[in-house]
Amino acid sequence: MLLPTYYSRIIYRNLKKTRFKIGVGISTIIVVLAIIAPLIAPYPDEGYGYIPADAGERKLVPPSIEHIFGTDALGRDLFSRVIIGTRTAVIQAVSVIFISLIIGMLIGVCAAYFKGIIEITLNYFIELFMAIPSIVIALFLRLTIGQGLHVVIASLVITWWAWYARISYVYAKSVVELEYVVLAKLSGLSALKIIPRHVIRNIFQALTVQAISDLGSALLEASAINFMGLGLPSGFPEWGVILYEAITERGIEAFLRSPWLVVFPGILILVTTLGFSLVADPLREDLDPRLRRRWKLWF
Amino acid sequence: MPVSLNYIFKRIILSILVILGVIVFSYLLLMLSPGDPAVKWAGNPRGPGATKAIELAREELGLNKPLYMQIVNFIYNFLTGNLGLSIAYKIPVSQVIVSGFAATLELMLFTYFFSVPLGIWLGIYSAINRGSRIDSFIQSISIILASTPTFWLGSLLLLASNSLTGFFPYGRVSSKLALSTGFTPITGFYLLDSLIQGNIQVFIDVLVRLIPPALTISVYPIGVLARVTRTLVAEALLEDYVRAAVAWGIKRKTIIRQFVLRSIVPPVIQISGLSFVYSLVDAMVVETVVFGREGLGSILIDSLHKADFRVTLALAVYLTAFYIIVNTLVDIVQATIDPRIRL
Repeated sequence: MLLPTYYSRIIYRNLKKTRFKIGVGISTIIVVLAIIAPLIAPYPDEGYGYIPADAGERKLVPPSIEHIFGTDALGRDLFSRVIIGTRTAVIQAVSVIFISLIIGMLIGVCAAYFKGIIEITLNYFIELFMAIPSIVIALFLRLTIGQGLHVVIASLVITWWAWYARISYVYAKSVVELEYVVLAKLSGLSALKIIPRHVIRNIFQALTVQAISDLGSALLEASAINFMGLGLPSGFPEWGVILYEAITERGIEAFLRSPWLVVFPGILILVTTLGFSLVADPLREDLDPRLRRRWKLWF
Repeated sequence: MPVSLNYIFKRIILSILVILGVIVFSYLLLMLSPGDPAVKWAGNPRGPGATKAIELAREELGLNKPLYMQIVNFIYNFLTGNLGLSIAYKIPVSQVIVSGFAATLELMLFTYFFSVPLGIWLGIYSAINRGSRIDSFIQSISIILASTPTFWLGSLLLLASNSLTGFFPYGRVSSKLALSTGFTPITGFYLLDSLIQGNIQVFIDVLVRLIPPALTISVYPIGVLARVTRTLVAEALLEDYVRAAVAWGIKRKTIIRQFVLRSIVPPVIQISGLSFVYSLVDAMVVETVVFGREGLGSILIDSLHKADFRVTLALAVYLTAFYIIVNTLVDIVQATIDPRIRL
C-alpha cells in the first residue's frame, strides 16, 4: 500500500506538468510556513493573540515597513497573525480530512463487503449524514459545547465522513466482486484479513487523491464557519477568525476604512486552497484512464 | 411512461426515511449534548420568569415520558409545524424559517439563472479548443474560482462597487424607497413582489442589490461546472457517433448541439443539483454578514446570539429536507432523461 518508490514515481511523472509544479510549490511553502511559523513571525506573541502594551498608539496602522500587512483593531501585527494562522489552517484541513477519511473508508468498505441488512443500514446513515449542512452542526455545537478547535473539526467531520464513505462504497463495490476477493472469501479467510488486504489496498490510491483535492474545500468550509463566529474564539490565529474580527464584529463599513485586514488573510486562504487543488488535479488525471486519454482526435 | 413508477416510489420512500432520520438525529443531539434539554429548549433563560419557562419547555418536550414517546412526539410536532415560538423572534419557528428561506432562495435562483449556462458554455468552449491557450486559461480561471473564499470575495466586491460607483449595495431593498412607493412583501421574493405590484423603481433597486451577492456566490458553480463540462464534452467527442458525424460532413455546430450537448445533460443536472445545495451554505455565510440581507444567514446569526435551539434544530431539519428534495428531484429527472440510471 505504501510503496515509497511507487509514489515517488507518480510524483516524478507528474512533475513535468506546470500546474502540478505550482501546486507542489505552494503546498510545500504553506506546510513549511506552518512548521516554522513562530520563527518567521516578527511579533510571535501578537500572532497568538496577545494584545501589545502600546496597543492604543498602533491601532489599525496601514501596511508599512514595520508592519508589512498593517495592524488590526487591537494593535496586533497582522503579518504575525496571518503567518501563525497557517499552522491552524493546516491542522484544521488535515485533521478534518484524515479523520473523515478513516471513518468513512471503514464504513464504506464494510457496507460494500457485508451485504444485506448491514449494507442497507450503513447506506441509510451515509445518505443521512451527507445531507446535513455542516454550518448548522457547527451552530449547534457552538451553543452546547462552546468554542474551540475541536468544535470546528468535529462539526466538519460529522458531515464529511459520509462523503468518503460514499466514495469508498462505490469503489469497493466493484472490488469485492473481483475473483480473487471472492476466492479468498470462499476459502474461508476472515473478513478482518480480506478487508485490509484486498479491498482497502485496492481503493486506497483513489481515496488518497480525493482526500488531497478535498483539503482545500475543508479549509474553505472551516474558515467560513470561523468567519461566522461559530468555531474558534476571536483572537485565535486563524484566517477566518481574522476576517470575522474585521467584518462580522465591526460591521462591513469598518472594513471599507481598513481593507488590509480583509485582503491579506483572504489571499492566503485562496492561495492555500488553490495549491491543494493544483496538486490533486493532475494526480486524478493520472489515476483515471478516461481523463488520461489524448483528446487530439476527430474534432 | 419513460421512467418506472417503482423507481420514483423507492426514491421518495428513501427520502422520507432520511428526513425522519434527521428529525430523530436532531432530537438526540438535543438530549445527549451536555446541559439540561429543557433549559436548552427554553433558550437558556435568566431572570424571574426562568423557572416557569423551563417548566413549560419540559412539558412541551414531554421529558417525563419514555424516550421513544418523546421522539414520536417531536416528530409529530415537526410534521405539523408546531414547534412553538422562536426564542429570538417570538413568532412560530416554521414561519421564521419560511420567511428566511424565500429571501435566500431568491438569491440562489437568481445566481443559478446565469451561472449554470455560463459555466456550461465555458466548459464546452474550452473542450472544443482543448490544448490551446484559451483552454488552459479557462481551466486556470475555473480552478481559481472554485477555490475562492466567497465571504472574502463578497467584501472585495462591496469595496469595489463602493469605490467605483459610490453605491453601497447593503440590504435587500432601500427602505426609504420601499416606504415612499408603498412596497409591501407578499411572497418574500422581492423581485416577484415588485413586479406584481407594478413597482418598477423597487424592482430595479432590488435587482441592483441582488447582483453583487449573486456574483459572489456564482464563482463556485461556474468554476465547478466549467471543469466538469469540459471533461464530459471531451469524452463525448471521442464517441464513435461523433466520429461518424464528422465523417458525414455534418456541421460542427450541429454536432455539438445535437449529439454532444444531449449526452452531457444528465450529469450536468446532477452536478448543478449538488452544487446548488453547497451554494446554499455559501449564501448563508455571505448574505447577512457581508451584504446585510435578511435570510437564512441572519436567522443563523440571531439564533447564535439568543441561543435559540428551536430555530437551530429546525434549520438543520429544513435544510436537510431541502437538500434531499432537490437531490431526489434531480435523480428522478435524470432517470427520466437517461435510461441507463434506472436501477
